Amino acid sequence: MTREGLTRRDVLKLAGVGGVAAAVLSGCGPLAKHVRRHPYHDMPEYALPGKSVYFATTCRECPAGCGLVVRTVEGRAIKIEGNPNHPVNRGATCARGQAALEGLYNPDRTRGPKQRGGREISWDQAVDAVAAALQETPPEGIAFLLGLAPDHLAELVYEITQALGAPPPLRFGGLAMMEARETLTQAAEAVFGQKALPTFDIARADLVISFGANFMETWLSPVAYAKAYGAMRQGHPGRRGVLVQVEPRMSMTASNADLWLPAKPGTEGLVALALGRLMAEVAGVEAPAPFADVDPAQVAEQAEVPLAKLEKVARYAVEKSESVVAIPGGVVLGYDNGADIARAVLALNALMGDLGKASRVFFTPPAGGQAPLPPASFQDVRSLVDRMKAGKVQVLFIHGVNPVYELPEALGFADALLKVPLVISFSSFDDETARYVTYHLPDHTFLESWGYQRVQVGADREVLSAFQPVVVPVFDTRATADVLLAAVQKVGGALAEAVPYKNEVEFIQKKVADFRGRNDGIYQASNPKLFWAFFLQHGGWWTKEATAEPVQGKVVKVGTDKARFSQGDLHLVVYPHPLLGDGSQANYPWLQETPDPMTTVMWNTWVEINPMTAAKLGLENDDVVRIVSPYGAIEAVVYLYPGIRPDTIAVPMGQGHTALGRWAKDRGANPVALLGAGTNAAGDAAFAGVRVRVYKTGRRHQLARKENVVGVYGDGRRIPVTKHEAEAATSKHQE
Amino acid sequence: MAGGNGHEHTKWVMVIDLDKCNGCNACVTACAMENNVAFTGEEENAYGRGMHWLRVIRYWEGEWPNVRVRYMPMMCQQCSNAPCEPVCPVFATLHSEAEELNIQVYNRCIGTRYCANNCPYIARTFNWFDYEWPEPLNFHLNPDVTVRRRGIMEKCTFCIQRINQGEEQAAAEGREVRDGEIQPACAQACPTEAIVFGNWQDPNSKVRQLAQSQRGFKYLHELGTEPKVIYLASEKHDF
Amino acid sequence: MHATNLPAELHEQVEKLRKEHLLLDPRPREEMNRMVLEAMEDVNREYFIVMVLLGLVTLVALFGAWGYAMYKGLGVAGIRRPIYWGLFIVSFVFWIGISHAGTFVSAILRVFKAEFRRPFTRAAELMTTFGLAGAGLFPLIHLGRTWRFYWMVPYPNQRWLWPNFHSPLVWDFLAINTYLLGSTMYLFLPLIPDLAMARDKSTGWRKILYTILSLGWRGTEEEWRHLQKAIQIFAWAIIPVMFSVHTIVSWDFAVAMKLGWHSTIFGPYFVIGALLSGISAVGFILYMIRVSMKNMRYFIRAEHFDALGKLLLIISMSWAYFFFNEFILEWYGGEHTVKEILRLYTQGAVAPVWWTMVVCNIVVPWAVLWNKNWRRKPWVMALMGVIVNIGMFAERYVIVTGALSRNRIPFDWGWYEPSLVEISIAVGTFALFFFLYGLASRLIPLIPVWEVEEGHHAHELKRMGKGVVVSVAELE
Repeated sequence: MTREGLTRRDVLKLAGVGGVAAAVLSGCGPLAKHVRRHPYHDMPEYALPGKSVYFATTCRECPAGCGLVVRTVEGRAIKIEGNPNHPVNRGATCARGQAALEGLYNPDRTRGPKQRGGREISWDQAVDAVAAALQETPPEGIAFLLGLAPDHLAELVYEITQALGAPPPLRFGGLAMMEARETLTQAAEAVFGQKALPTFDIARADLVISFGANFMETWLSPVAYAKAYGAMRQGHPGRRGVLVQVEPRMSMTASNADLWLPAKPGTEGLVALALGRLMAEVAGVEAPAPFADVDPAQVAEQAEVPLAKLEKVARYAVEKSESVVAIPGGVVLGYDNGADIARAVLALNALMGDLGKASRVFFTPPAGGQAPLPPASFQDVRSLVDRMKAGKVQVLFIHGVNPVYELPEALGFADALLKVPLVISFSSFDDETARYVTYHLPDHTFLESWGYQRVQVGADREVLSAFQPVVVPVFDTRATADVLLAAVQKVGGALAEAVPYKNEVEFIQKKVADFRGRNDGIYQASNPKLFWAFFLQHGGWWTKEATAEPVQGKVVKVGTDKARFSQGDLHLVVYPHPLLGDGSQANYPWLQETPDPMTTVMWNTWVEINPMTAAKLGLENDDVVRIVSPYGAIEAVVYLYPGIRPDTIAVPMGQGHTALGRWAKDRGANPVALLGAGTNAAGDAAFAGVRVRVYKTGRRHQLARKENVVGVYGDGRRIPVTKHEAEAATSKHQE
Repeated sequence: MAGGNGHEHTKWVMVIDLDKCNGCNACVTACAMENNVAFTGEEENAYGRGMHWLRVIRYWEGEWPNVRVRYMPMMCQQCSNAPCEPVCPVFATLHSEAEELNIQVYNRCIGTRYCANNCPYIARTFNWFDYEWPEPLNFHLNPDVTVRRRGIMEKCTFCIQRINQGEEQAAAEGREVRDGEIQPACAQACPTEAIVFGNWQDPNSKVRQLAQSQRGFKYLHELGTEPKVIYLASEKHDF
Repeated sequence: MHATNLPAELHEQVEKLRKEHLLLDPRPREEMNRMVLEAMEDVNREYFIVMVLLGLVTLVALFGAWGYAMYKGLGVAGIRRPIYWGLFIVSFVFWIGISHAGTFVSAILRVFKAEFRRPFTRAAELMTTFGLAGAGLFPLIHLGRTWRFYWMVPYPNQRWLWPNFHSPLVWDFLAINTYLLGSTMYLFLPLIPDLAMARDKSTGWRKILYTILSLGWRGTEEEWRHLQKAIQIFAWAIIPVMFSVHTIVSWDFAVAMKLGWHSTIFGPYFVIGALLSGISAVGFILYMIRVSMKNMRYFIRAEHFDALGKLLLIISMSWAYFFFNEFILEWYGGEHTVKEILRLYTQGAVAPVWWTMVVCNIVVPWAVLWNKNWRRKPWVMALMGVIVNIGMFAERYVIVTGALSRNRIPFDWGWYEPSLVEISIAVGTFALFFFLYGLASRLIPLIPVWEVEEGHHAHELKRMGKGVVVSVAELE
C-alpha cells in the first residue's frame, strides 16, 4: 500500500484534517484499486479484532443518492448509517437504506456469471461474449437499458455508445414510471424556465400543498424531504408549517397532513387552479388567466371537496403564511392530463410569488455543471419495445432495472425480449428479466462497488456522491463497468481509443479530476491521489456553501382537458410500496418484515378499499378479491382502509415476484399487470387512468399485520379505536 | 461514574416528537439491523409473533372524509419503576445502576414471559422458535449484540452496546460524553429527527431542552412507571 | 352399635337409619378389611386396558407433546403477543384448584369433626397429591427454557445469585413445593395403619411393599397416640398452607399491572374457586370409585353425596358472591380498558366461555343442589362434578387469556386460540391424573378402614321417647 506513496497513518491524520465528525474513514484501501478486504482470516492490517472501520459511500437502493457511512468489523459490513455531512440526507436513512446489507449478503444473489439455462461460465468467456456483441453488431442494433443509478455507469455507457455510434442508453425503471419525472421536468421548464427536477424547500415553508406527491415515501428524494418535513413542523420556534395534501388515497405523506382533501381523481389540477383563484380573491388581486378561468364553487362540486375547506386553505395561505409551496407528484401526475396538472400546480407556486410570498422552489445545481443523463420517458421505452418487436435490436444490455417485472405487461416487454437475439443482464439477482437473457453477468451490489451519483434533487448545492466498496465482493461478481471496459479493450481499435480507460476506477478518477481545481468544495487537495482519498473519505464532493437560489416562476397557460379513464367501477391507484419501493428490494427479509406505515401489513399485497365500498361489495378484511382491469387481472387481499375515496381502490407495487429469491417469490401480486401502456402529454405513463372491477373469490388469506387483528378475527368489531382511545394514546395527558 | 463525564451517573432519556414523526418505520428497520432482531415471516407475523423491538403504532381517527392518522413509535420505555422487573423469578430483567436502564440478561432468562404480561407498553417480544439468517445473511449480524435463541424474552435496550462504547471512548479520551455523540439506531436513522437521545444529567443536553416543551408527556404516566421516553404531542392545524 | 337392645317396634326405623348411614351400619373389622383389600387387589382386564390406554395417552399427549415443544420452541403453543400465557397457565390454576379438594375434605372436615368425611378422606387426599403433580408440571412446561427451571430454586451457586423473592413465581414455586410436601405427608400418616393391615393380609410383592411402607406399625397404644397427635398437627398446619397456595397463585395475577387481573379480591376469590372445583371433583371421583370398584357401595352411600351437595351449594354461593364483587367493582371503576375487558367477557368473543362459566358455576348448581333427591343421586353429583369443573376451567380461561387479550394500547390487542400441542398437553394431564389415581387405587387401601371403624365406635343409636336418636361420642 505504501507503494502509492501514502501510509495508513497519513490517511488517519488526514481523516482528522478532514474534520468529519462521525469517524468517516476511507482506510487506505481505496487508494489502491486492488486492495482486498478479507473476512476474519487474513484480515487487512487496519482491521483490528473488535474495532470497527467505517467507510463512506452512497446509497443506491433508490436514485436519490443519500450519503452513507457503513460500519465494518473484521471485513464484514455490520450496519449502515447516514452520512451526517452529506447534503442530501444529513445523517438520516430510510428503511430501504438500512436494509441494504440484506442485499449485500442476500443468499439468493447471483453468485457468478451464467449462460442461459443456468450454465456457469468464466468471466473471460463473459468478456468475450460482450466484446463479440459490441464488435459484431451493427451499432443501431445495440441498446442499453439502465436504471436511474448509478450515474457513472450511465456516463460510461454513454461514451461507449457515442464511440460506437449506437443509440444512447435509456434510463428507466418502475420508480421512474411512478414519479413521472419527464412530466415534472417539462412543467418546470415551462414555469421556471429550467429543464430539471425542481426541489421544494418545505423546511422553510409555512404552508405546503401537495398534490399527490408522496415525498416522504419514495418520491424523488424521500429522506431529504422527510428531514425537511421535521424542520417544517418543529424546526422554527413559534412557527409550525402546515401540510395540505390533495389526492384520492391517503398516502403516508397525506396521513401526516393537517388536511387531506380527497379530490375526485383527475380534478386535482382544477383544485389547484381554484385554490389559486381563491387566494387571489383573499389577497384582493385579480387572478391571472388560468386561475380566473375556473369557478371555485363549481370545482369544489366537481372534485367533491368542500368549498369551505378550500377557502380556509386559501385564507391561511394568504393571511398566515409567508411562503407557500405547491408540489405536484405521485399518482396525480399519472392521469392522462397529468402534464396539465403539473403545470397548474407549479403555476400556483408562481402565483404565490405574484402575491408577495417568498419562493421556496429551487433547482439543485448539477455537480460539476454536468447534469446526469436524464431518465427516459415511458414513451421512449415504448419505442424501444417497438424496435425490439420489429427485430431492430440485436443486442440488449440491461442493468439496474427489472423491466419484465416493473413495466406493465400491456407494454409487452417480455414478448419483445424474445425477439432480441442477444440479451445480457447485469442484475445482481436472478430477477424476472434474467430468465430471458442469454448471458447473466452479475454486477456487485453497491456496497462492493465503485462509482458516483450526481445528485439531481433534494440538495441545495452541487453534490457528487461517491460509491466505494466497503467489503470484498461476497460472490464471484464483477463490476459492469469493468466488464464493459474489458470488452472495449478486447475490441480495440477506434473504440478503445475513444474509451481509453483501463478500468472503472480510472474512469471515475478521470471524471472527478476536474473537481480538484474547484476551491469552493469542502476540501482542497494538492494532488490527485490526495483528492481521491478525500473524495472517498467524505463520501463524495460537494460545495461548502449552499448555492441553490429560490426561483420565481411565471404563471403559464394550463390545459383543462378532463382525465380519461378506462372502463370499470373503481379508480385504481397503484403506488410504490413505501418500504419495498418498486419491488427490487422485495427479497430483503427485513423490508418485508417492516410494517407498512399505513396498514401495518407485512409480507404481502393488500388492496385498500373504503369500508363503505367494501360493505356494498360484501367484502370483509382479509377477503381475497380478483381485480380486473382492461389490461390484466390480479388477486389481492382486502384491507378496509378508511383513508381512501369510496370510488377508488389502491394497491402497492413491490410484491408479486415470480423470481428474485426465496422471500420475494410467489408472494402477493404485482399491480403493474393492471396498468395500460398509455402516456400523458409529456410522454410519461398514464398509470393512474385505469378503472377496475373487483370480484370476490370467496377465499380468505390472513394478512400479517402489526396492528391488532381484533377487528378481523375473533370479534365482530371493526378496528376498535375510538377517538378517545387514540387521543389518550397520543396526546398529552392533562394532570 | 460512568464515562467519566463528571456527573453522578448518566440517565439516558429519549424524546420523541410526534409532530415530527411521519410514521415511516425507518426506525423499525434500523433497530432490527443494529440489534440482530430476527425476522419471522408472513405466517408467524400474521399470528402476532413479530419480533419488532420497536413498532410505530398507527391509529385511525374520524370518519370519511375527515380521516386522520396518528403515529406513535413505541418501544421499551426503560421505566425507572419498571413493572417487568419485580416479577421475574430469576433476575433476568433488572435495573442497571450505571446506565439506569432496564437490562434483559438473555443468558439468565428462563422464559416465564411474566415480564411481557406485566409490561403496560407491550414492549417485549419472545423468541418462540430458533430463528435463522441463512448464510451469508448472517454476515451482517452485529458482533456487539447477542443473537437470541428460542425460549427467551427480548426488548429494546436503548442500544446499550452503543452507550457502553461511547462512554468507554469518552473515558479513554479523558473527556465527557458529548451530547448527541451516543445515539441508538432508531434516533440515528430517523429521517425527520423526531427521535432525540441524550443524558438527562447533562443540563445543556438537547433532550433536557426538548422536555421543557409544553407538548411533553410520558405515556401512561399515571401508572407510576416513570418512563424514560418523553413524547411531544402532535398538534395538527384544523382547517 | 347397640341397636340390638332397642325395642322391636323401633326396628324398622333403625333399619332405615342403618341403610342410610355408613357409620350406623357397622360390620366386623375383618369383613371391612377383606372388602377393602378385595377392591384393591381386583386387577381385572378392563382395569388393565384402561390403565394401558391412560398410560399411553400420558406418554404421548403429555410428555411427547412437551418434548416436542421443548425441542421446537414454545411457538408450537397457541400463545402470541400480547397473550403470553395460555392454556398451560389455565391448566396450572385448574389443577391447583383440584388439589384443594383433599385438604379441605380431609383436614377442615376433620378439624371440624364432620363425621361424613370418614370413608373418603383418603380418596380426596389422593386428589390433592395427584392434582398437585399435574399442576406442578405446568410451571415447567410453560417455561421457554424448561431445562433451566432450577434457577428458580434458591441454591448456592457460582453466580452468587438467589432467585428474585419479589417475584410471585418464586412464591409459587415455594408454595407449591411446601403444599406438595405437606399434603403428601398428610396423606401418608393416616395411611400407615391401613398399610399395616394390608401387610398383614397380603403375600408376595405386596407384602414386601407394605412392610416397607407401614414403617413397622404394630398398633400399640403408644403408636396410636402419636399418630393421632401427628394427624391433628398436620390437619391444623396444612389448612393455612392450602389457603396460602391458591392465594399465591391468585397473586400471580393480582400483583400484576394488568387490567382485569389487578384486583384485591383475587386471593379469596381464587381460594373459593379452588374449593368449588375441588369439592365438585370429589363428587365425581367418589362416583367413579363407587361404580368401578368392588364393595364400594357399602362405604360410599347416598348420604355422602348428599353432604357434598350441600357443601357444594354453599361454596357455589360464596363463589358467586366473590364473583359479583369482582365484577361489579371493576365495572363501577369505569376504566376504559376494563370496560372493554368486561365487554369482551359478556358480549365479545370470550362471551361463550364466560357465560359457560356463569351457567356451570352458578345457574346449574343452584338449580340442582337445593333438591335433596337430586343431591342423593350419585350420578347427578358426578355430573355436577363435571359441569362445575367445566365452569371453573372456563373461569380460569377467561381470566388468563381474556384479560391478556386487552390492554391499554388498543393497537396491540390480541386474540388467543389454544394450539393442538397445548390441548394435547392439557388433555394429557387429565390422563396423567387418572392414571396415577388408578394406580394408587390398586396399590393402597382407598378406604381408611380404621377411620371408618372409629366412626362405627363413636356412633350409637339411643332410644329417646318413641324415637331413635344418633349419639356421637368424642373420641379424640
